[in-house]
Amino acid sequence: MKIVRRCAAAAVALALGCASVCAQPARPPAGPPTAPPLASDAASAPVSFSARKVYEQARTQLVQIRTVLKGRGSQTSVGSGFFVSREGHIVTNFHVVSQAALKPDYHDLVYVTADGREAPLQILQLDVLHDLALLKAADAAGRSFDALGFRAESRPLSQGERIYSLGNPLDVGFAVAEGTYNGVVRRGFYPQIFFGGALSAGMSGGPALDQEGRVVGINVARRVDGEQVSFLVPASYASALLAGGQSAKPIAGAAYDILTTQLMAHQAALTDRFIEQGWKSATHPRYRVPVPPDVFMRCWGSSEPSRTGGLDVERSDCAMDTRIFAGDFSIGTIALRHESYDGSRLGPLRFAARYSQSFRNEAFVRLSPEHQTKPQCHEDFVDRAGLPLRVVICMRAYKKLPQLYDLTVLVATLDQSQGGVQGRLDAQGFSFENAQRLSRHYIEAYGWAKQTPIATPTSAGPTP
Amino acid sequence: MGQADADRDADVRRADAMTEHASAGGALAAPDGEGAVPTHAERAASDPSTSKRRATRALLEVIDRDGHVRQVWPIHAWPARIGRALDNDVVLTDPHVAPHHFSLDLDDDGKLTLATGDTINGVSVGLQRHPAGSRSVIAHNAAAIDFGAGRSRLRLRLADAPLSPELPLAGVAVHNLRILPSLAIGLVLLAGIAFNSYLDSDPDTFSRVAGNTLLAGLSGAAIWCGAWALLSKTITRQSHFGWHLRVFMLAGLTLLALAAIPGLLAFSLSWPWLTDFSFVATYAVGATALYFHLLAVEPARPRLLRAVVATGAVVGIALTLWFNLQRTSRIGEELYMSHLFPPKLRLARPLATDRFISELAPLRALLDKKAKEAPSAEELGAPPPAGRGEDDDE
Repeated sequence: MKIVRRCAAAAVALALGCASVCAQPARPPAGPPTAPPLASDAASAPVSFSARKVYEQARTQLVQIRTVLKGRGSQTSVGSGFFVSREGHIVTNFHVVSQAALKPDYHDLVYVTADGREAPLQILQLDVLHDLALLKAADAAGRSFDALGFRAESRPLSQGERIYSLGNPLDVGFAVAEGTYNGVVRRGFYPQIFFGGALSAGMSGGPALDQEGRVVGINVARRVDGEQVSFLVPASYASALLAGGQSAKPIAGAAYDILTTQLMAHQAALTDRFIEQGWKSATHPRYRVPVPPDVFMRCWGSSEPSRTGGLDVERSDCAMDTRIFAGDFSIGTIALRHESYDGSRLGPLRFAARYSQSFRNEAFVRLSPEHQTKPQCHEDFVDRAGLPLRVVICMRAYKKLPQLYDLTVLVATLDQSQGGVQGRLDAQGFSFENAQRLSRHYIEAYGWAKQTPIATPTSAGPTP
Repeated sequence: MGQADADRDADVRRADAMTEHASAGGALAAPDGEGAVPTHAERAASDPSTSKRRATRALLEVIDRDGHVRQVWPIHAWPARIGRALDNDVVLTDPHVAPHHFSLDLDDDGKLTLATGDTINGVSVGLQRHPAGSRSVIAHNAAAIDFGAGRSRLRLRLADAPLSPELPLAGVAVHNLRILPSLAIGLVLLAGIAFNSYLDSDPDTFSRVAGNTLLAGLSGAAIWCGAWALLSKTITRQSHFGWHLRVFMLAGLTLLALAAIPGLLAFSLSWPWLTDFSFVATYAVGATALYFHLLAVEPARPRLLRAVVATGAVVGIALTLWFNLQRTSRIGEELYMSHLFPPKLRLARPLATDRFISELAPLRALLDKKAKEAPSAEELGAPPPAGRGEDDDE
């Protein structure tokens, strides 16, 4: 229990990195994600001379950031951070301070230095989209702090260069984890550095340094289904946050308005990019079925022929790796799925029963009622140039993020009596207008495949 | 009178006694002395050896809680005294009856008079209550008059009361007629069940699924109807198994139809509300079936049963609506219409995408209203419970 509580903040960060692929049913079986060995790996890995040098240089700039239950003194989550200015500015992850930012009535933030000094913290600015927060030591007056410098953007790292990630894993003690820089993560919506080293819960918000001790990134997440697959926020976002928020006043009250504003900007950008990128071609022999290109989404496919002479199904699941952490849940993603059914061995009535069952078997509850309303739906038959579709659009509103909605669009083709395609689009955290735009974009992606002119839309024949 | 005649008389007497016994006690043989008194009185009255056959002026029947006649007291002379004491003409063993509870008298003008004795509980006639020491004239134009004394229900039939016509024996002529429709219903129901398992199974598994479903259906029907028959038998002394079976089969057939027809119409005409509220029809069918089952258990009170069953259905529907509202913020059962049929059965015209998207607009105000309804004090800023499930959509 104690461990779980301690790792709460970092565990969420890990989900950020792994959730989309963990959810893939078709993924080849991997061993169960094991978190504890990663921590000991980090401790027992042979630390090179330069790692020792880097750690010794950075030791005084490194802090642990604790979220403490107000009036109770017990910590609810721990992470890491580092000084970036002589005036006492600290950079960490948003998810490390999210409880204090969103529920300030119940939580306090403190930092603890490597030599054990503890002092309160204030939140100056948040960059929710890149998972960063700018803090300031509340005891900064009259003090001068050692600060880490950022590596200049004009000197990019090359793949394979050694970098050193610092932090306080699992509240065990300050540690340095050595690894390699592997470039920018592919298919991310926001750039993240792929760090070939071991990060553990509690190291979130700590700096990743180059050999000269300059910050190249901020520890943010790791994949629990892989080994030494970890992620850093590029340092440029942190230096921009520092530059913009250095003299900002501390945030007073719950930061939901900041969260909402930034999520609004995110959904607008994501909608534009999503619509702009168009669709893949030739995704089904009979229909045009929406499958996004592999730019910032990843699609997994599978084929499930029936073993009992029944319905043959082919699936495609597309999801984004990027999710925006928003406190108790994550948001700001788009996911698509479709299933192509061939029921030529079933006969029309049996196929209809199976097709209905599949259309019915959809989940609509994502978050608890304190965060979201229940879904409200709109449905009808929609004509796509002669291809009849049954379309259901269901939406939920966020209770603490006004004017942001979750969208689900279900589509079933209705031209064949023994075959068809059912698709689903999920978009979490979008404005109503953009939800409408995405729905239209998605529905209009259905149609007849150009190559195969279909003579009779109501033909009872099996899928070609 | 010869020896043979005397023997025959004795036989008649014995037969009389038996008939009387059966009618007095119904299927329940009179358990103790109380049966013996009327038996003796009746035998004395009907015994031809007394040659002067006393006319029966009236018949007082003691009715049990299930409406069956428990004892019959012929009344040969007026006034007839009724009470617990043995010197009464009609002796009741009910402890809530006074020793001399009341007496009935019929004068030559045909006026029936009720005189109550020294009783705490009084006598009720219909809804009217007659306290101790009262004397009143009772109107008697019906076939029988019901009295209540203590916990006993009594029914008085006067000699000149009109008789209802003879009832035909159920089951001789009627039975043959009913067997064929029942058989037909049974076959249709079996076919329906088999068709449903055809729809729910893959080609390779059909025979196994159909076998299992039929077995489950048949044993379910046997248990269901058997339980009802047992209940009927306990209370009405007749099992009415055929009746219960027919009710079960008709209800099953209707429910099968209800499972298919609203879905088909909802799909064909794009009427999502039809399946959203089809549970109302299901409740109605269930309540009707329950009514007919109960009717074979408590046949004397159809109006009460109808009221009970209708109340049950209304309460059930109301609870379901309330539960739906709690669960989904909507009173309907289905979030969306998910019944898809072969394309040829679709009659509703598909919309253009633009129109469909523009029709989304009303959702916004609805969702914004619901989002503001949040019970904020508890929800805004309370520390999250440990172990909250992280975002999972699938």
